[in-house]
Amino acid sequence: MKPTLLQLPSLLIVFIFLIAAQSGVAQTTIDGIVTERNGTPIEGANVYLEGTYDGVTTDVEGKFSFQTSETGVQTLIASYLSFESFMMAADVSQMTNLNIRLREDVNSLETVVISAGTLEASDNSKVSVLKPLDVVTTASALGDFVGALQTLPGTTTVAEDGRLFVRGGDAGETQIFIDGIRVFTPYTPTTNNIPTRGRYSPFLFDGITFSTGGYSAEYGQALSSVLLLNTIDEPDQEKTDIALMSVGGGVGNTQKWENSSLSFNTSYINLAPYIAAFPDRNDWEKPFEALAGETVFRNKFKSGLLKVYAAFDTSNFELTQEDINLPEGLRFKLKNYNFYTNAGYAGDLNDSWKFQVGGSFTRAQNNITVQGDDIDNTENSAHFKVRFRKRFSNRFKLNFGVEQFLTDYVEEFNSDFATTRYGFNNGISAAFAEIDLIFSRKFAVKIGARGEYSELFDEFTFSPRTSVAYKTGKNSQVSVAYGDFYQQPLNDVLKFNQDLEARKTQHYILNYQYVAENRILRAEAYRKEYSNLVTFNNEFPGFESNFANNGDGFAQGFDFFWRDNKSIKNVDYWLSYSFLDTERMYRDYPVSATPSFANKHNLNTVVKWWINDWKSQIGFSHTYSSGRTYTNPNRPGFLQEKTKAYNSVSFNWAYLISQQKILYFSVNNVFGFNNINGYQYASTADANGNFNRRALTPAADQFFFIGFFWTISEDGSDNQLDNL
Amino acid sequence: MKKILFILFTVVTVSSFAQSKYQQGMEKAFELWKSDKSWEAANLFERIAQAETDNWLPPFYAAQINVFNSFGEKDKEKMKAQIEKARNFLNDAKALTENNPEVLVLEAQLLTAWVVYDGQQYGMKLSPRIAELYKKAFEIAPENPRVVLGKAQWDIGTAKFFNQPTDMYCDDIRKAIELFAAEEPAGEYYPQGGGEYAEQVLQENCGN
Repeated sequence: MKPTLLQLPSLLIVFIFLIAAQSGVAQTTIDGIVTERNGTPIEGANVYLEGTYDGVTTDVEGKFSFQTSETGVQTLIASYLSFESFMMAADVSQMTNLNIRLREDVNSLETVVISAGTLEASDNSKVSVLKPLDVVTTASALGDFVGALQTLPGTTTVAEDGRLFVRGGDAGETQIFIDGIRVFTPYTPTTNNIPTRGRYSPFLFDGITFSTGGYSAEYGQALSSVLLLNTIDEPDQEKTDIALMSVGGGVGNTQKWENSSLSFNTSYINLAPYIAAFPDRNDWEKPFEALAGETVFRNKFKSGLLKVYAAFDTSNFELTQEDINLPEGLRFKLKNYNFYTNAGYAGDLNDSWKFQVGGSFTRAQNNITVQGDDIDNTENSAHFKVRFRKRFSNRFKLNFGVEQFLTDYVEEFNSDFATTRYGFNNGISAAFAEIDLIFSRKFAVKIGARGEYSELFDEFTFSPRTSVAYKTGKNSQVSVAYGDFYQQPLNDVLKFNQDLEARKTQHYILNYQYVAENRILRAEAYRKEYSNLVTFNNEFPGFESNFANNGDGFAQGFDFFWRDNKSIKNVDYWLSYSFLDTERMYRDYPVSATPSFANKHNLNTVVKWWINDWKSQIGFSHTYSSGRTYTNPNRPGFLQEKTKAYNSVSFNWAYLISQQKILYFSVNNVFGFNNINGYQYASTADANGNFNRRALTPAADQFFFIGFFWTISEDGSDNQLDNL
Repeated sequence: MKKILFILFTVVTVSSFAQSKYQQGMEKAFELWKSDKSWEAANLFERIAQAETDNWLPPFYAAQINVFNSFGEKDKEKMKAQIEKARNFLNDAKALTENNPEVLVLEAQLLTAWVVYDGQQYGMKLSPRIAELYKKAFEIAPENPRVVLGKAQWDIGTAKFFNQPTDMYCDDIRKAIELFAAEEPAGEYYPQGGGEYAEQVLQENCGN
């Protein structure tokens, strides 16, 4: 449209107005200085009026000065890396000679972390002692995440069991959580003297936190330890994985879409060919066979993430084991079906509120035959949890939630003489709340509490927890923690008697940590007091047993961990040592004694060496653990003798044939040490009044493994090194 | 009539003046960047980004400066802070332009900065994601020289690591150089150029 002469006056007005603005008639100067709290000037800070172009970068003296044509109340912002942004709303005419002090951002790596009791495996955390890949590249671990954790301080080597024994606690005192939701049956069931493995494949997780004491009020029903596994939020790419192993095979596939992804994995393990080639000390009727499948679906929403995980596995075996009281051996047969599903949604309600809701359901069924008697049990368990997190500021956060555990356990015993059916229903309701206070980059406190109500016992328990961390230097810090922990007796007791109370421990922990440039030193001392432990009056508990909560005990000691991947090029190694002094009165113990699953000294050395020219990673690990107690009935006393020390050196070699093909070889106990886990004594004395014994040795001294792993993806860069 | 012409002229300059606050800012920022004042440039891009909330270019360049300055950074604390800042700007840019190959390449470069920082720790973990980003960018814009160069450079590094032939990737770099020569900017202040750098990459990796 052409302006006509009639429009001229208004156009002129616009024109004049614009000229005025341009020539700066209404300009205001904003100036001042930006410093740290201690007065040190900050160079390079960005100072500007929000929503405008007006602003400037501070000079070497922290000074700034700029002009603006804005008038009235405006918001001035000053921001700089690693500091909290400063905001001020005022009339621009007031913005002169400003003295802006920026507060250090406590969301930085420099900030103290509460580390008492915690061992973390992740990539970016400062307290991380393990990396996710370590789970699969540690020589002795054989791809089992539990196996890798057994090289960390605070654990005891109980080679014939395979589960986690933490600081004088038995395996049942550790609970495992996936994405904050409890796993009720984390281990594949086995029998005497055959170590178990964790059920879940390690490559599902990208963060592992292993707490050996003093953990957050969010977690309950664990006397000694919690293991927190976080699943991957988003897979990297679409791919197909194929694994061929000396003990079986597996196939996996991942599909990705715009906002969602689906992965599935199946594996089949059969030890028959291996046992035919390398017979062990057991007489296998049906060597171990397992079929497993798992699937994960993830969907991203605008402000949240949904994850659904489901796994099914079945395993079976049958064997005759040597037994000193049974000349023909002990016949044992097991079939296990396990289904686990876990679904969770985590989302943001707004900038400062987050919530997470999730649940899990487990159905585990065992059909066991021992010497012709059948024991069939079925556990149905569920866990529901809702958690809220409110961030008042970077320095003050509140975390609270409620949860419910449900267990329905039924067991049926069938022998030629009798059939008995028994079990229990158990419900536990819990609520927890915790606050994080970060006073400065140097000083942080976490205070929390947890309340639990047990329907079965009609009992309420209250557990306070607290921890404090203080930074003593640029790279070092000290933290302390205290907490009360309650756990109900396990299924093996509850199935016979439900008139009991929760068991209790109290933890006191003092931790020192030094972290600098790929080196970490961690030292921790602790004292743990047990009370209300379950006692009964015969060796194997049953209906006729007299159950009570009369037991108690203690565990104390110190741990030491050193990891270094800087000093020697291409070599990463760690050392961990644990000293443990423990005694307890529980089960059918006549006196307080050190249990057979605890020992004084444990030392683990793990070395990984990457040889670039060979495209190979070679790993060694050595485990030393001092002797464990056993009772010798030929002499007075209880748990009065000790086995010789345990030693094992493992070796592995991963060779990258190309980006997508890996050849993997490993051997456990290379030097074939004859380890003895304990002794079994005859139940009756011989003619000379002597009880004969049999050494409990591993089924095989050594184990070999060969695998070929092939990943097919379109761009050809992924591989299964992290599946090994 | 003369008067009308005069007014018409001023109206035109006025309207171009209204745009030019953005243009002035962008010009100034590029000038600062060229004269080695990259942090000042980043600050200016940041200011433009919060004033021009629907334009992906200012946050893109603010992110790019933080990413580029992270290459070779040794201090993990600083590294993490810069990468986080870059990530925030990158997310802002992503929200404004969908499936933009330039943004995908920058995201790949952001991850590559970690691999350069500590290959042993981050290489294995981030490689598949980096490769996936280049793949996606290449599907969208197979003729974008920065996409072709970035992908070739990444592939060549991987192939060298595994002692595999690199010839085909050298051809890709040569192709990128041709594409750079023929490139027409897609819009005002859109990313462009990089031909000289491509020549340098070719020299270093393909030896002729």
